[in-house]
Amino acid sequence: MPMYGDLGNKLVQNAKRTQNLAHLPPYQTELVRSVAREVRDLDRDVASLLEPFQESFDPAADQATACTLLVNHMSMRRNKRCLLAYHRTRTDKLEELVWNGSDLLDLAGQQTGGAGPTNGMNGPTDSSSSSSSLSPQEEDYVRQYGDLLAAYKGHWTDIDLTGSLEPPRDLFIDVRVLKDAGEIQTEYG
Amino acid sequence: MSYYDIDSILTDAEKIPCTFQLDVPELGYLDNSPGQTLKAGARVALPLWLAELLAITSTGSSDDQNKSYVAFDLPHALRNDVVQALKAEPLAVPLRDQSAHFYSLATHMMDLSEEPELSATLRKTFVRRAAEIALHARKLGGGTGKGDEGGSNLGVGGAGEEFLRGLDEWERRLFRKAHDGTRAGKEWMEKIKKN
Repeated sequence: MPMYGDLGNKLVQNAKRTQNLAHLPPYQTELVRSVAREVRDLDRDVASLLEPFQESFDPAADQATACTLLVNHMSMRRNKRCLLAYHRTRTDKLEELVWNGSDLLDLAGQQTGGAGPTNGMNGPTDSSSSSSSLSPQEEDYVRQYGDLLAAYKGHWTDIDLTGSLEPPRDLFIDVRVLKDAGEIQTEYG
Repeated sequence: MSYYDIDSILTDAEKIPCTFQLDVPELGYLDNSPGQTLKAGARVALPLWLAELLAITSTGSSDDQNKSYVAFDLPHALRNDVVQALKAEPLAVPLRDQSAHFYSLATHMMDLSEEPELSATLRKTFVRRAAEIALHARKLGGGTGKGDEGGSNLGVGGAGEEFLRGLDEWERRLFRKAHDGTRAGKEWMEKIKKN
């Protein structure tokens, strides 16, 4: 029996799976839209239930209506929580990925390329409109979060905040010459 | 338990048996018959997020202040024979088969109603099982420690396999932490020896 809140639950189950994955699964555009639609339907129901009362509703006088209103209200609140938690799980993941140095192109392309070994289905998958596993809003979020991180890192130019915490194994490290420095004499000649 | 906590949200989706205390014309869909009146006395399984508020909200009727919209029973996962089995031997019950969020469901129910005996049984159950979990985690952690991350590392190693499969979500987290801790400790010791 499909019930209010069931779709929201699907979203949260998806979020639960996301927590244990290394990559970000595709954004559930359809599901998010359905849950939002459900909230709008419920809101309309509440409005039409309250209409005859002209803003003077007494719960004690009409308990059945009060109960219905409560159920509708709880369903809306539940859906809100599911939606927020779903998106928050994804943005947490995105922030983590940005800190790890992925940029937007890696993230967006993940569904077509990166996710290959985990699911066997090859070729153009059912990603209807675009190949990105992020929603447009999420892409925007990643872009702006990346800018924010870059600005933050700019305060300490001598420390690489996103660098590896592993100390170098070797005494010598590779450097890349950025400027023509002419002849260089090291300590060892 | 935060608002955004996924496991807490999933716990709230567990169904508990409720009995409606009044007729509600609009809610027939809850009992699989949309368009019809939900009669007082109808037994419906409602998710916790809905049942909880319906059960604690007073109808506001003047004749009986304590009457609420629904009365609820303990969920299927906490029925008597499960509790009896836990009393007899905590390790023999696969909690996961009852509910993936067994403990958090149980604590939630105990917030709603006074169940001193249940609470004592569950506490003993957890202590007993936690020790067993720690034991298994150490055994596995001492192995080669191949990078098996995520949910797939449960059920390695023969004898405890059955027990580990029956862990609920909270116990799984505990197992994973203990397992990772043992492995990290071991790696650190090896590094010390090398240098």
